Amino acid sequence: MKYEMNCGLETHVELATETKIFCSCTTRFGGAPNTHCCPICTGQPGVLPFLNKKATEFAVRAGLAVGCKVNTVTHMDRKNYCYPDLPKAYQISQLDKPLSYGGFIELDSGKKIGITRIHIEEDAGKLVHERGNTFVDYNRGGVPLIEIVSEPDISSAAEAREYAEKLQLIMRYIGVSDCKMQEGSMRCDVNVSLCPAGSGKLGVRTEIKNMNSLSFMEKAIEYECERQAEILDEGGVIEQATLRFDEHTGETYVMRTKEDAQDYRYFPEPDILTVIIPEETVERIKSELPELPFDKMRRYTDELGINAKNARLMCRYKNLCLWFESALSYGASVKHSVNLITGVIFSFLSTEENKEKFDLNLTAAEFAKLVKYLDEGKITVSVAQSALLQMLQSGKCVNEFITEDVLLGTSDGELEKICQDAIAANPQAVADYVGGKEKAIFALYGFIKRATQGKADMNKVNNILSELLNK
Amino acid sequence: MMGISEKEFAMLARLARLEFDGERKQEFMSEFEEIINFANAVNNAVAGDTESIKDTGGDNVMFEELREDTVKESLPNEKITSGVTPVNGYFTVKRVVK
Repeated sequence: MKYEMNCGLETHVELATETKIFCSCTTRFGGAPNTHCCPICTGQPGVLPFLNKKATEFAVRAGLAVGCKVNTVTHMDRKNYCYPDLPKAYQISQLDKPLSYGGFIELDSGKKIGITRIHIEEDAGKLVHERGNTFVDYNRGGVPLIEIVSEPDISSAAEAREYAEKLQLIMRYIGVSDCKMQEGSMRCDVNVSLCPAGSGKLGVRTEIKNMNSLSFMEKAIEYECERQAEILDEGGVIEQATLRFDEHTGETYVMRTKEDAQDYRYFPEPDILTVIIPEETVERIKSELPELPFDKMRRYTDELGINAKNARLMCRYKNLCLWFESALSYGASVKHSVNLITGVIFSFLSTEENKEKFDLNLTAAEFAKLVKYLDEGKITVSVAQSALLQMLQSGKCVNEFITEDVLLGTSDGELEKICQDAIAANPQAVADYVGGKEKAIFALYGFIKRATQGKADMNKVNNILSELLNK
Repeated sequence: MMGISEKEFAMLARLARLEFDGERKQEFMSEFEEIINFANAVNNAVAGDTESIKDTGGDNVMFEELREDTVKESLPNEKITSGVTPVNGYFTVKRVVK
């Protein structure tokens, strides 16, 4: 039988606050075990949690960035479960009044993936399983998270990946999280169900927990779809279950069966007052949202004329875009800036992390000076590329590398004279070229490069030569 | 008189992770019935003008009054783990993954 997949993602994003959600312990990643802890985040009796203002603001910002409405009256709830990573035996989360609800992410195809809700909650501690023992580190316990719950609108593993990538990019752009999946600051739980094609009914879902890599998430979804289809084809029924994905075998395994909200015995958190977020605060947070990546991408292609591939590539890195736009404000041309960035600078930065940080030894103003030499035809592209690389490596300014003797001193008239000399000095190459051997022109290029010490603008040389040879 | 059905009672007991034998179950069900009847009596009471009565269920906190995001020193590891025998600074618990 043919099946349709319905998939929804619950994405946990660690918020980039300095302190935990209910206490003033640091959220810094790493550190010796149990050194970022206090009586509040270890759940000692008699303590009172106190909600972090910035975490709340970040959660509202995240909601607004994906088109959600904000609940201006909101409260926290207790989600009860007993596991060693949670010292209180309950997690403070939100059930019926999430901070925001009703947004969407638009895929490249134009399909919109609905966002049901975004709520705020505390992270659990970390369990380390070693040599038959389980060790607990509560440094991560109480770090603020938002959980972004999508509608089951996703219909393929590729769509799930695109949705997660877009969400990751937006969260990074608005500065609420670094969303590093390898460090666990973004993790996805994936709900998958199948139904007969065209039936329009949702099937029984299984949930694959804690995916911390997009490629593994894709594999897990594909595997789970095949597994469910096999069961259904054999006349079996899917059991609602929570699964884990084994990255080594590429298969999913059942962790526990059937788990609904009622199993968590949610109730309103009595230790935290209802929070009122005034409309003016919501408006203020909305007005402070930066240009979002996909709006920026559209502007780069429509207004700056950057091709879609380069626009997409550049807009993945917010800091780069800010730097690039600053260079433009100093008068650099779009075309040459983009070519140098995607060519030289990307290659210099090499890793994703470096590109993300975009911590260069080169100011946008110095870069603009270099680009303007190129724009004005005073240096060739290869001279610009070489100078840029040296500027990046040394941190020195453009004038250290673009000196008088590098600047093109050859006027158009002089260049034409050199081209004529090249033709006169290479009669055989000219005859070959005119006879149809196109490669023979390289002999003329060589002559001209030697005569100009490599400073000739080869585009101009080409134009002059083709005019002279076609006479 | 409102009661509680066996099914409802079984559901509540499961959620509360409690088990009851026959005698204790009857005792509990009858106590539950009293509680529900009391709640109904409150629900059905004619209270007159309640509009002017201030909600005493708890105050609200305004966004601006929430805690500022400023780090304060955490407790040292020795203090945090003082009630247990830590291993390399970790708490140890019964093995949870087989």
